[in-house]
Amino acid sequence: MSELRIVVGYTANEAGADALALANRIATAAEGALEVVMVLPSEAHNSRVPVDSGYIRYLREQSREWLTEASTHLGADVASKLHIRYAESYAEGLIDAAHEFDSQLIVVGAAGGGLPRRPRVGSVANELLHSSDVPVALAPAGSREIPASQGVTRITACVGTRPGADVQLEAATLLARVTHAPLRLVSLVPIDLPAGLDEHLAELTSATHAESVLAEAHRALPEGVEASVETATGSTIEDAVQALDWHRGELVLVGSSRLAAPRRLFLGSTAAKMLRELPVPMIVVPRTTHGTASK
Amino acid sequence: MTRPQSNAPLTEATAAVDAPEGGLSRKGLSAGSVGLIGAIVIGISCIAPAYTLTAALGPTVSAVGVQVPAIILVGFIPMLLVAFGYRELNKRMPDSGTSFTWATRAFGPWIGWMAGWGLVAATILVLSNLAGIAVDFLFLLISQLAGNPEIADIAANPFVNVVVCLLFMLGATLISYRDMKTTQKLQYWLVGFQVAVLLLFSIAALVEVANGNAFDATAIDLSWFNPFAVESFSSFAAGLSLSIFIFWGWDVTLTMNEETRGSEKTPGRAATITVVVIVVLYLLIAVSLIAYAGVGGGEFGLGNPDIQDNVFFHLAGPILGPLAVLVSIAVLTSSASSLQSTFVSPARTLLAMGHYGALPEQFARVSPRFFTPGYATIVSAVVASVFYAVMRFVSENVLWDTITALGMMICFYYGITAFAAVWFFRRVWFRSVRNFVFTLLSPLVGGVILGVLFFTTLIDSMDPEYGSGSHVFGLGLVFVLGMVVLLTGVAIMIWQAIRRPAFFRGEMLSRASAE
Repeated sequence: MSELRIVVGYTANEAGADALALANRIATAAEGALEVVMVLPSEAHNSRVPVDSGYIRYLREQSREWLTEASTHLGADVASKLHIRYAESYAEGLIDAAHEFDSQLIVVGAAGGGLPRRPRVGSVANELLHSSDVPVALAPAGSREIPASQGVTRITACVGTRPGADVQLEAATLLARVTHAPLRLVSLVPIDLPAGLDEHLAELTSATHAESVLAEAHRALPEGVEASVETATGSTIEDAVQALDWHRGELVLVGSSRLAAPRRLFLGSTAAKMLRELPVPMIVVPRTTHGTASK
Repeated sequence: MTRPQSNAPLTEATAAVDAPEGGLSRKGLSAGSVGLIGAIVIGISCIAPAYTLTAALGPTVSAVGVQVPAIILVGFIPMLLVAFGYRELNKRMPDSGTSFTWATRAFGPWIGWMAGWGLVAATILVLSNLAGIAVDFLFLLISQLAGNPEIADIAANPFVNVVVCLLFMLGATLISYRDMKTTQKLQYWLVGFQVAVLLLFSIAALVEVANGNAFDATAIDLSWFNPFAVESFSSFAAGLSLSIFIFWGWDVTLTMNEETRGSEKTPGRAATITVVVIVVLYLLIAVSLIAYAGVGGGEFGLGNPDIQDNVFFHLAGPILGPLAVLVSIAVLTSSASSLQSTFVSPARTLLAMGHYGALPEQFARVSPRFFTPGYATIVSAVVASVFYAVMRFVSENVLWDTITALGMMICFYYGITAFAAVWFFRRVWFRSVRNFVFTLLSPLVGGVILGVLFFTTLIDSMDPEYGSGSHVFGLGLVFVLGMVVLLTGVAIMIWQAIRRPAFFRGEMLSRASAE
């Protein structure tokens, strides 16, 4: 099948290093290709100060240096190219690059402050999540410390309790295949009921519903694809996330919110909560994908 | 800027960076994105006429009396002459270090360093003045909206004033650091509003004169436009160095060659229209306010030292009544957007100085997220804030004195830039008539005028009664300010020369001339 092409949104800071390390790890596992992209602000519609071509040149030189420096951290056997692009916004530049290189995945650093290892979505990642029609991987802070040799040890697809996750399953299947990683289907069941209700009964009902959705998802997988199935319960999504075991080399896929416009990403409330809690990278898949679905 | 040699070995990956040399103007600048109107808007917004006039009109009146219109017309000449040289240099050696880089190229590291210092000092002076004016008008606006005149007086309390000013500075620094951009549409509205309010203001003043309601009706006279009617050469020079300030920023429209849309004539047309709009506005305001308030020392007289450092602040109410709130908004938005655009230049010059080894390396740092000269921006903001805070307590007329000192600094670094143009192009002076005019005649005459103005102001300002009359150690504050700024520059330069001799041996940026 076609090789995995990954666009990395690189910035010369820790978030950028996280993104680069994660993309490098996925590309190593999948024998894919990296397009490392630095997006510089376009001065096209600047109306405040006259454009200073000297400064633009300076920025480009600096970015070249940054990219060159970054490329020394890439695995020797990963095919990679470095690019400088100009765009009105960072997200727009990355999405354009993903289309240009026909990529199936955009990787960015999730960090934008907040506690270490518990990423709050930064403004850049957030903008991307609202507008990308290509799956977006968010590398949590600290991703840069995981070596590429760790590989991708498992792909977990979070299946919602409502149907409509086929695109996401397809993406998960593809990713599991190209990275030679086992697939796990997970349903998170938060049980948050007022005291006095029969908690056990509620738990049982929700869990049963979740299991049936999971079973359906499992059945929907293409022939010959193996997957393990798990249901996690907890009084909150956060608890449910913590109830599961997570590998260091794991990747989690979630579907974008049903509120999003078709083929556009949007992080739903469940996914947003998960992102805060997850110790591993999360990939958000748009409802109808541009890249992955067609492959 | 070109770094002499990259010391990192070029890996294959480097060769694959696909931003071709020729692609820059297409992708980076998006040629053709700024049209005629856009260029005019940028020009007017950089000059910030509402802010400039309220800050400079009073000091100019105190120097030349009713001949302000004449000085405005004459003041434009040296600015234009130097701007031609600036444009030639910018075309030949586009560099974010501008005056610093060009003067170093032409005259070597020492003069180049001082030119850079002059630019940074001038912009830092204007930053603190801008923020000071903004504070005054913020309180005026609040008092107008609340209908309580006492609120406007809070701005006179130095502690409140300094604290609010620092907040303004903080906001402007954040905007600059994060490179938050105003949309084109908003910018058009702001500039349009500013021009409309200034027109309204001057027409209202003239109407009041015609109705006999003027504070000190003064008959408009042709002699106002006659520069030779100014009493003495000293007054003439003082007025002129102030009027250099009022056109400062106009030169940018001349340098917008690459990104303007339409024919090659667009930048020239934009610059011409901008300057015509600005001169007409300035003349209208100057004539109408003098006609309304006179140049006497009465309560609202333009000769009254108590109102001279911020004339609109005091005259908007009597002239416009309830509509005075528009003037406050216009000056506030004008200073706010000027605060933003002004922040860019010291930061970029400091960045270039750091890059070429004339200052510590940190100055060359670019924020990896916002692609702005982060360190240099913050240093400029801190220096401007400290400067304002100190001045607010040292001088009773801080705004006035900073404006006068500013005019002197602009003469200093613009003069050096003009001579740098002349010297850099020395081998091509006589290649064509065009070269002769733009690389020799214009910058030379402009540079000489600025040089004369600089030294005249410097000598005259030793008089303790000069300008606002603030003085320390029996010397005029403006003189002390100018000398402190320049000598601090010399001291830091010598310190840097010991710490970082490579730049001062000409190893980072060599002398050159146009062939």
